[in-house]
Amino acid sequence: MQTLAPSNLTELIFLIPAAAGLLAWLMGRARRVWAEALALLGAAGALACAAAMLPRVLGGKILTGWGLELRVDSLSALLVLLISGVALPVTLFAIPYMRHRRLRDQQGEDVTDRRLPGFYGLYLLFLATMLWGCVTNNIIMLYVAVEATTIASGLLVAFYWDRRALEAGYKYLMLLTVGITFALFAAVLLYASATVYLPGVNAMLISELRGVAGLIPRSVAIFVVAFFIVGFGTKAGIAPFHPWLPDAHAEAPSPVSALLSGVMIKMAAYALARTVTIFYPSYPPLTMFVVVLGGFTMLLGGVMALAQDDLKRLLAYSSVSQMGYVMMGIGFGTYLGVYGGLFHLLNHAVAKALLFLSVGAVIYATSLRSMSQLGGLGRRMPVTAACFFVGAFAIAGLPPFSGFMSKLTIFLAGAQAGMWAAVGVAIFTSLLTLVVVIRAGQAVFWGNPKSADVSLETVREAPTSLWVAMVALAAVCVLLGVYPQVAYPLLNQATLSIAGLFGR
Amino acid sequence: MPYNARLIETLSMLMIITSVAAVESHNLRRAAAAYALQALLICGLILAFAVGNSALYVWALVALITKAILTPWFILRYVAKTGEQEVPATIGFGLSVAVASVLLVSFYKLTHSYVHVLAPTPESVAGVFRTNLAVGLTVFVLGLYAILSRRDAIKTVIGLCLLENAVHLSLVSLAPNMRETALIGIATEVVVTVYLLLYVIAGIREKVGTTDTYELAELHW
Repeated sequence: MQTLAPSNLTELIFLIPAAAGLLAWLMGRARRVWAEALALLGAAGALACAAAMLPRVLGGKILTGWGLELRVDSLSALLVLLISGVALPVTLFAIPYMRHRRLRDQQGEDVTDRRLPGFYGLYLLFLATMLWGCVTNNIIMLYVAVEATTIASGLLVAFYWDRRALEAGYKYLMLLTVGITFALFAAVLLYASATVYLPGVNAMLISELRGVAGLIPRSVAIFVVAFFIVGFGTKAGIAPFHPWLPDAHAEAPSPVSALLSGVMIKMAAYALARTVTIFYPSYPPLTMFVVVLGGFTMLLGGVMALAQDDLKRLLAYSSVSQMGYVMMGIGFGTYLGVYGGLFHLLNHAVAKALLFLSVGAVIYATSLRSMSQLGGLGRRMPVTAACFFVGAFAIAGLPPFSGFMSKLTIFLAGAQAGMWAAVGVAIFTSLLTLVVVIRAGQAVFWGNPKSADVSLETVREAPTSLWVAMVALAAVCVLLGVYPQVAYPLLNQATLSIAGLFGR
Repeated sequence: MPYNARLIETLSMLMIITSVAAVESHNLRRAAAAYALQALLICGLILAFAVGNSALYVWALVALITKAILTPWFILRYVAKTGEQEVPATIGFGLSVAVASVLLVSFYKLTHSYVHVLAPTPESVAGVFRTNLAVGLTVFVLGLYAILSRRDAIKTVIGLCLLENAVHLSLVSLAPNMRETALIGIATEVVVTVYLLLYVIAGIREKVGTTDTYELAELHW
């Protein structure tokens, strides 16, 4: 039986990075290295909090803070562990990476050191808002947190301040804010309808709303679900609400792309899972709708990825595609399906962060990112190439890498639910993904450079400080592939917290 | 009924006029003024509802600061830099007004004949709720329409503000007993988003030389 236990960790986990971000912005002006140190400290502090929560959550406790305002159950614990666990290596990578590309103002003066404190300030704030979204138990605050991640990351997307980055930043802020407004409308409708059954503040608590979701008038419930899917789905990169994603993920600095594609869209998927699944028990056809949406998303993302020449756009479209798997798994609504969806969410976060860092290392070495220009880098950058292929195989679901296990679980869940068409689409997209990533790896790391801008003599392997982070993430990809049991206790409990709702 | 229903309905209907003015005025300064006027109407509406919940006084104050003062001020500051004439829209004035009228009439019909479809609570079937919902939906769609059909980036930001106002109107009508923290969070986020968008648009103006969103076509699928 799960019991509630008040814990300060629930608030510390997002207050630490937020405070570090503020300090980084203030103190970094004096010396850049302080901003960098604080970024590492903030990310490490968040990871430490997440790790400290883990044993208590696995022991059946639900941690609460500020009354019932903050609530960490096993699903939240999974997400905060994932976010902070990916953020730490990404931050390690960001420090040398962000120093490398010199930024110039209009007079051609080097302004890198002046702009980096702001970068780390927003970066940590971005991290804090993602973590906050995963621990809040208030439906309105969930909207506020998701919108806050957009606000914090908007200027990170446009950080390079050139034409492409600005265009991506404008689209990012505009499309996501419009999209997420639908989620606010849904949250307001849900809250208002729940006030009839729940006293006062309780009508805002997601943990309480679960119990009354079935009592809400049917037509209102349909609007609530539809608006939540549009709102949080936009943020999660679910097709057809994904057009902001390839622009933003491609134009942001690579460490930011790794966070956007690795964990931010996962946090939105979490918001979706938290809110939409409470309606599953009363509205069974809803699961079918989510499966169809997932199938459409994965197929569209896979096909679009095939058409890309820009490596980062390719990875971004592949993220759209992989989010389709997460949606489909959760859509099956069975224990196995939800388990597969959450497991894939975990695997994809690690593998996609790894891939964006690997491409970042390529950009670091060559300043290029088009497959039609690159080639032959494998000889000069063996570590980067190896890391890229580990991430690529994990995404494509090749054994013994992590994606294989989670995709297999999703296929099995589909078969068990008798949804053969969905299984067919998922298997086909998996093959498509394999083609996409192998073609990309081959174009970049084999053969010879296709552009005169790259000369293999001058290309050097990324420095140790860059590849340490990549190797760490690659190791996790392999570990989760050969020994998936390591994630079982947490995933099992997280799955039960969703699937337990409807006992399937 | 504790609220002054007639006052609320009047204020809320006036929101439609200010929305159309904000979308249709080709002078960005005037559009910003129309928006500021609408923000004052929202403040009035919140105050009218505050009879039932004192937390709403705080919200009315926050709305006054963020919507009626800060947002128009930000917009005017950027307009001063980029020029007050809007990049011509894709859809002409006459057609646009026709679209707005059709929207209002259909939403009015919809909310008055089928109110139960969207009524979350038994009380919300009342007249005030219906009118506010019709107005909210119309302003929402007008905002969306402005974002989609206007080429001027600043005009799309005004469209976004209208969209947010519409949701806030439904918020105060549906859940007049909400707490301050949630309300302040919602209200401040909009103004920060608007500020960031204008900041990025100023960057675009500097690098690309225009605020015409049709010129932003470097990135496509």
